Amino acid sequence: FLVSVCVVWLLCVSVMLCSVCTAPVCTNAQVGCHAVSLNNLFDRIIQHSAKMHRVSNDLHQQFELHVLPSRNQVGRGGHICHTSTIMTPNGKENAQRMAREGLTQVILQLLMAWTDPLMNLHHSSTNVSVDMSSMVGELRRGVQRLAEKMHTLGLLTDPDSSVVSPEALMTSHPVPWRLMNLYDILYCFRRDSNKVHNYLRILKCRIVPEHGC
Amino acid sequence: MDRIIATAEALWRMMRRIAEILLLLHWFNLLSVEGTRYSLPGKPTLTRCRSPEKETFTCWWEPSFDGGLSTTYALYYCKENSDTVHECPDYHTAGVNSCFFNKNNTSIWVNYNITVVATNALGSTFSDPVEIDVVYIVMPHPPENVGVTVLEDKGWPFLRLSWEPPHKVDTRSGWITLIYELRVKLEEETEWEMHLAGQQKMFNIFSLRSGGTYLVQVRCKPDHGFWSEWSSTTSIKVPDYFQRERSVWVMIMVSSAFIFLIITWLIHINSHSLKHYILPPVPGPKIKGFDKQFMKDGKSEGFFCDLVSIHFPATTTPNDEDLLVEYLEVCVPEEQELKMEDKGEDGCPKSESSTSDCDSGRGSCDSQTLLIDKCFKRVAPGLDIECSQTGTGANEIQDSPDVSSGRVKTWPSVYSPLSQHPVDLMHSLDKSKQHCLSDTLFPSDSSCPYHSHPDHSTNDNPDSTYWKFCFNNKQRLLLRPQMETQWQPHAYSEVNISATVRSSDYVEAHNISDENTVVLHSVSSSHDDREGTGYKYQGEDYSHVQRVGSDNVLMLQRGLMKEPVDTGFCKNQQANRAAGTSDTSPITRNQKPTVCNETTLSVNGPAANGYVDTATMFIKPTQD
Repeated sequence: FLVSVCVVWLLCVSVMLCSVCTAPVCTNAQVGCHAVSLNNLFDRIIQHSAKMHRVSNDLHQQFELHVLPSRNQVGRGGHICHTSTIMTPNGKENAQRMAREGLTQVILQLLMAWTDPLMNLHHSSTNVSVDMSSMVGELRRGVQRLAEKMHTLGLLTDPDSSVVSPEALMTSHPVPWRLMNLYDILYCFRRDSNKVHNYLRILKCRIVPEHGC
Repeated sequence: MDRIIATAEALWRMMRRIAEILLLLHWFNLLSVEGTRYSLPGKPTLTRCRSPEKETFTCWWEPSFDGGLSTTYALYYCKENSDTVHECPDYHTAGVNSCFFNKNNTSIWVNYNITVVATNALGSTFSDPVEIDVVYIVMPHPPENVGVTVLEDKGWPFLRLSWEPPHKVDTRSGWITLIYELRVKLEEETEWEMHLAGQQKMFNIFSLRSGGTYLVQVRCKPDHGFWSEWSSTTSIKVPDYFQRERSVWVMIMVSSAFIFLIITWLIHINSHSLKHYILPPVPGPKIKGFDKQFMKDGKSEGFFCDLVSIHFPATTTPNDEDLLVEYLEVCVPEEQELKMEDKGEDGCPKSESSTSDCDSGRGSCDSQTLLIDKCFKRVAPGLDIECSQTGTGANEIQDSPDVSSGRVKTWPSVYSPLSQHPVDLMHSLDKSKQHCLSDTLFPSDSSCPYHSHPDHSTNDNPDSTYWKFCFNNKQRLLLRPQMETQWQPHAYSEVNISATVRSSDYVEAHNISDENTVVLHSVSSSHDDREGTGYKYQGEDYSHVQRVGSDNVLMLQRGLMKEPVDTGFCKNQQANRAAGTSDTSPITRNQKPTVCNETTLSVNGPAANGYVDTATMFIKPTQD
């Protein structure tokens, strides 16, 4: 009895911790599968991205506070992020003008681009103890599920901008991420997580606007 | 002439020098003045940059001293990763010393490097550059349309607050997500009560003070940004309500119910004592051996059997409780005893007990017996009369009867002392023959339920009571009829009763004089006393009641063991004696040799002059 209780508790904890779990996306034909609504999926993804951004923001602040106290105002510029080549909308109009598919693609591209650098960061640097790459990976998988669900629901109509293989987008980077120092990585990741979070919110309010928009 | 010209030239040179010197001095003077008034402008500083909706932003700077000259300020910025320097597009929209960036010039997620330059005639001064990203400098306007209403929840009021995001912030498209916070306080208080409302635009506040005025303010903040200013204060007054009074009433009722329950429980616990206090128990007839149920069953024989039986010698030692409890001991008449002898264990086995003490207050089940007792007691105060066994009965008595001087044991208000005797005398069944004199020996009195001589009927109480009167064998009780009329409690003083106390002696009715006087003669084991009596006791000391006449008169037998004097006293019962009565009723008849016919005597039996042995009461009238 105790063992079963422990197992159940662990399952619950794991479900809670990962908002986007590796649960199969159910179609109508599948039986015994608890289908997640689109709204529910959006909520989970947005929660996850908020958490990711919070973590990255805290990391960056800690870094600026303790590692670079003398460089408060000077030296901030000059950050070159390896994701700068990804065309991301830089304003509200641009973001709203962008189609759902484009937004989804941009999100995926961003998430794809950060998996490796963060993994490398976690393994190499002792200052960063949080493994953000796993978070990014889970979020990416969640967004992929979301895209698939939207595609099945007919929300993603543009066939050209369907789910593109992520690997195709990672061909060329102006700046290989290996050349980026820790400060740059933290700075750039903080920004990109904010972008992802914002794009997801825009996407949600565009597709399922009835809750919290 | 030459000299004049030379002097003039010298003067001219001197004057020029002086002028130059003066000029130089003036110049120096000027220069020094310029150092205090005119200088490069001070270094301006960018105080803050804010964006109200993440679409535009404004930067403000703080100028320093201007150096005495007019100074102009210019803001230059360059975007991230671009060397192109741009100047502020709008210096006026946002006020003085500000720069407003409109939507076209605002890029989100782009670093801006902003610098302010102060320029005057002497030069320019650059401020420190500031790098900003618009995403992180968002500070919205305060929420708008803050509305407060008072609603009721089951009679209790509460405040409902509602508001709207600032109109410039675009939350509908998801561009910005705001969280709200509000604060409330009473008008007279100083400290605010903060509440975080999250993303909702509505909030309830409970636990209000009736009749108070509340002030409410709301503010908002984006995910990562700055809190807005507090909205303008909204005040609302909570109306008075009666809930407080009702709660007080509820509390009063609850407490009173609680007290009532406690009192009820206390009463229930003490119900018995309360009952005794309020309604003192009426002493009922308590005759030892008196079985009510038996009575109900209608078996009188068995009933009396029980009465007479075991309980006769009260086994319980007299104590205070016995004194209080009116237990009447029914004593067995001598007939019964005789019968007992004859029959032994036959009949009423309990009759053995009857042979015990004659002192026992064996009266009828009648409280009047008590009265008699009292009368007797008072009559013979200081008298110590005890029933003593005749003859050698004393030897049989295991415990000599309590011989207390001057105590009439026979007639205490309670029978307990008497009970002592029965106990002791119980064992002397065979020998102790107790004579029980009917109360007819005594003058009757209304208060004393004893019966006088059969001729003395009159005003005796109808209740026939068996009365046992034991005297010292030496004594002789002579009752006079006068006692009847003069019956008083102390009338017994006429009775000569010595104080000698011995084993209970029995007085036997010697004879009945013409004067309706019953002469009692003490009966003792020794027959010596009976010289004058003419009675011959042969081991049996009874005053034999031969019979009870039709008038409920007790006829005593003159002669014992002898042929009954045919004086109407007693029929010849010798036959019965000898034969041992074959009567059915064990109590009936004169089983004992010296017992004459007995007559039944009901408890409420003969009035007045009917001395009746209680034991005989239930005896059927025998043939006379």
